[in-house]
Amino acid sequence: MQNKYLKTLTNGIFSENPVFRLVLGMCPSLAVTTAVDNAFWMGVMVIFVLTFSNMFISMLRNLIPDKIRIPSFIVIIATLVTVVDLVMAAYMPAMHTTLGIFIPLIVVNCIILARAESFAYKNGVLASTLDGFGMGVGYMLAVLILAAIRELLGNGSFFGINLLGAGFPAAKVMVQAPGAFITLGVILGIIKLMSDRKKAE
Amino acid sequence: MQQEKLVIQSAPHIHSSMTTQKIMFYVISALVPAAAAGVFYFGLRALMHLLISILLAVLTEAVVQKLMHQPITIRDGSAILTGLLIGMNLPVAAPLWIGGVGSVFAIALVKQAFGGLGHNFMNPALAARAMMLASWPSFMTNWTTPFDGLATATPLAILKAGIPNTTALPTYWDMFIGNIGGCIGETSALALLLGGVFLIYKEVIDYRIPLAYIGTVYIFGSIFGADGLNSGLFYLLAGGMMLGSIFMATDYVSSPATARGRWIYGIGCGLITMLIRLWGSYPEGVSFSILLMNIAAPLIERFTIPKKFGEVSKKNAK
Amino acid sequence: MGIISLLIAGILVNNYIFVKFLGVCSFLGCSDQLDTAVGMGIAVTFVMTAASAVTWLVQHYILNVFNIGYMQTVTFILVVAALVQFVEMVIKKVSPTLYRALGVYLPLITTNCAVLGCAVLNIQQDYNFFFSMVSGFSYALGYFLAIVLMAGVREKLAFSSIPNSLKGFPITLIITGLMAVSFYGFQGLFQEFLTL
Repeated sequence: MQNKYLKTLTNGIFSENPVFRLVLGMCPSLAVTTAVDNAFWMGVMVIFVLTFSNMFISMLRNLIPDKIRIPSFIVIIATLVTVVDLVMAAYMPAMHTTLGIFIPLIVVNCIILARAESFAYKNGVLASTLDGFGMGVGYMLAVLILAAIRELLGNGSFFGINLLGAGFPAAKVMVQAPGAFITLGVILGIIKLMSDRKKAE
Repeated sequence: MQQEKLVIQSAPHIHSSMTTQKIMFYVISALVPAAAAGVFYFGLRALMHLLISILLAVLTEAVVQKLMHQPITIRDGSAILTGLLIGMNLPVAAPLWIGGVGSVFAIALVKQAFGGLGHNFMNPALAARAMMLASWPSFMTNWTTPFDGLATATPLAILKAGIPNTTALPTYWDMFIGNIGGCIGETSALALLLGGVFLIYKEVIDYRIPLAYIGTVYIFGSIFGADGLNSGLFYLLAGGMMLGSIFMATDYVSSPATARGRWIYGIGCGLITMLIRLWGSYPEGVSFSILLMNIAAPLIERFTIPKKFGEVSKKNAK
Repeated sequence: MGIISLLIAGILVNNYIFVKFLGVCSFLGCSDQLDTAVGMGIAVTFVMTAASAVTWLVQHYILNVFNIGYMQTVTFILVVAALVQFVEMVIKKVSPTLYRALGVYLPLITTNCAVLGCAVLNIQQDYNFFFSMVSGFSYALGYFLAIVLMAGVREKLAFSSIPNSLKGFPITLIITGLMAVSFYGFQGLFQEFLTL
């Protein structure tokens, strides 16, 4: 019994990592990973929204008619996103401005809708909550890795702290769009390579 | 009767002595005058840039192919060519490691990642130049005068800065022989033209692309430039026009294969180059325009496929 | 002048895919074939233009009037979802072939961040009604250009021997990055002539 829940939880972190394995939620993953700081807070918000959206949708799954399930999901998710949006605007206005449009865009982050549809609507509350939390953590891990690479190579820093010294010729393109796309592409390629090798063993 | 090995193939039975190696050899030879001019004007450091870029290009290809369990093809000369072009696209004052980084990027990500020779949809040397420019803009635009090595601006940069301007534009003769600031291999129009004529004569490159490109730039520059027909000439001699139109835009793999497509491609390169030079933020548009046309090339090719021999169009068939 | 400046911004200078990271998921997913890409581009253009118009009306005649600005996210996304349903019905009636060609991609436009993103950005930029629509239309054209170019490249690459670990999303992302750096050339285009 316990193993099943543990598996659900870790599923979203490794084997079904939403960014690296399921390749969902691209837009914010590319946009907010210019700095580890930004990626971290986006991760926090996604964990919050995913966990509670899965939880509520699972609680209400027998009450929501099948025909209007997508709009219902959307309303629940949008409400949660509005909550984090307002909280962040109130307590961390600078980060709120930095993350900008990608906060309300959490609503259309395919990860959340996909988990609602494929898991929360069909499973119990505890399992759904763990799934949401696991997926959120997996998401946060992925964007932190992406941001760490981009910030280090593009700015010589990590979480704002200058690690590589002033002499390091930071490759500015890394914190710009082309760097984002190419880095993510290369990481996905490496992960696929590693998992192909594992399958061959 | 002796058992002879019979080779059975269908027509046409055309023999060509052209191999990849030979083509690469011709192109590299055609670049030698311009490379030599670069070393002449900018000194031994220029030679070091070229050598480092070439070395790292070849090394990267060998390493990547080894890791991917593919046959190592560095002897076909294509990596050498890419490395040489990357080196020639650097300002001599740039740090010595920069060409190396560019070469690794070009070979690993723009060439091998797509399947190696013949599969790159974009010119690897130019893609590397764009990435280097985006990464280290100050290093990649650190122009110096020939011989003295004093900081200067290229003719295009001077023009972009606008009038009034205390810096005088160099003479047309200087621009023609290459006695101006710029990238190592792009300043000497004379040397590049010599190479280009050689390549067209040897039928290594198709005359259509350079002709369309150069023609468009000349006409556009004459109409919209400040000095009439002289402007047309200015825009031909300035910046990376010669290097780009003869050696970069003509890369077989990243340009359309159809004849009509090549005309369109060349004109497109010319238009975008002038658009950027005249009305964009960057002073030079050659690299970007060729890259953008590389991207459009598959679509251009698709829509310019010629009629197959003997094909009768539906409306003519009765 | 404002219209031209918006068109240039939307298509070349501020392209949603190559600069602003909006609409990337569907761009990666629907760009492997030219006809799918064209169909998707047309559908997105419809929806984005219409969504920009309707959300503007909602913002100015409902949200602002009743001072419930915090309801923006909820109302906007519902508007987009409804619009997609509506556009689906219209396309089904007007061109059944296009409807069948788009298949499942049509309802997926609801989750296309470009649509919602543009609606929200229009309000932030304080455009009037007309310019909101032009903005939606321009940015959609930018998306259209990007996805069509990508389809052209990917169809040609179908004949190449891309290493197995890079096939699919990885190589498409690398191509997108290379396309993005190529579009840098358009930065500042016509800036001295246009203002908005």
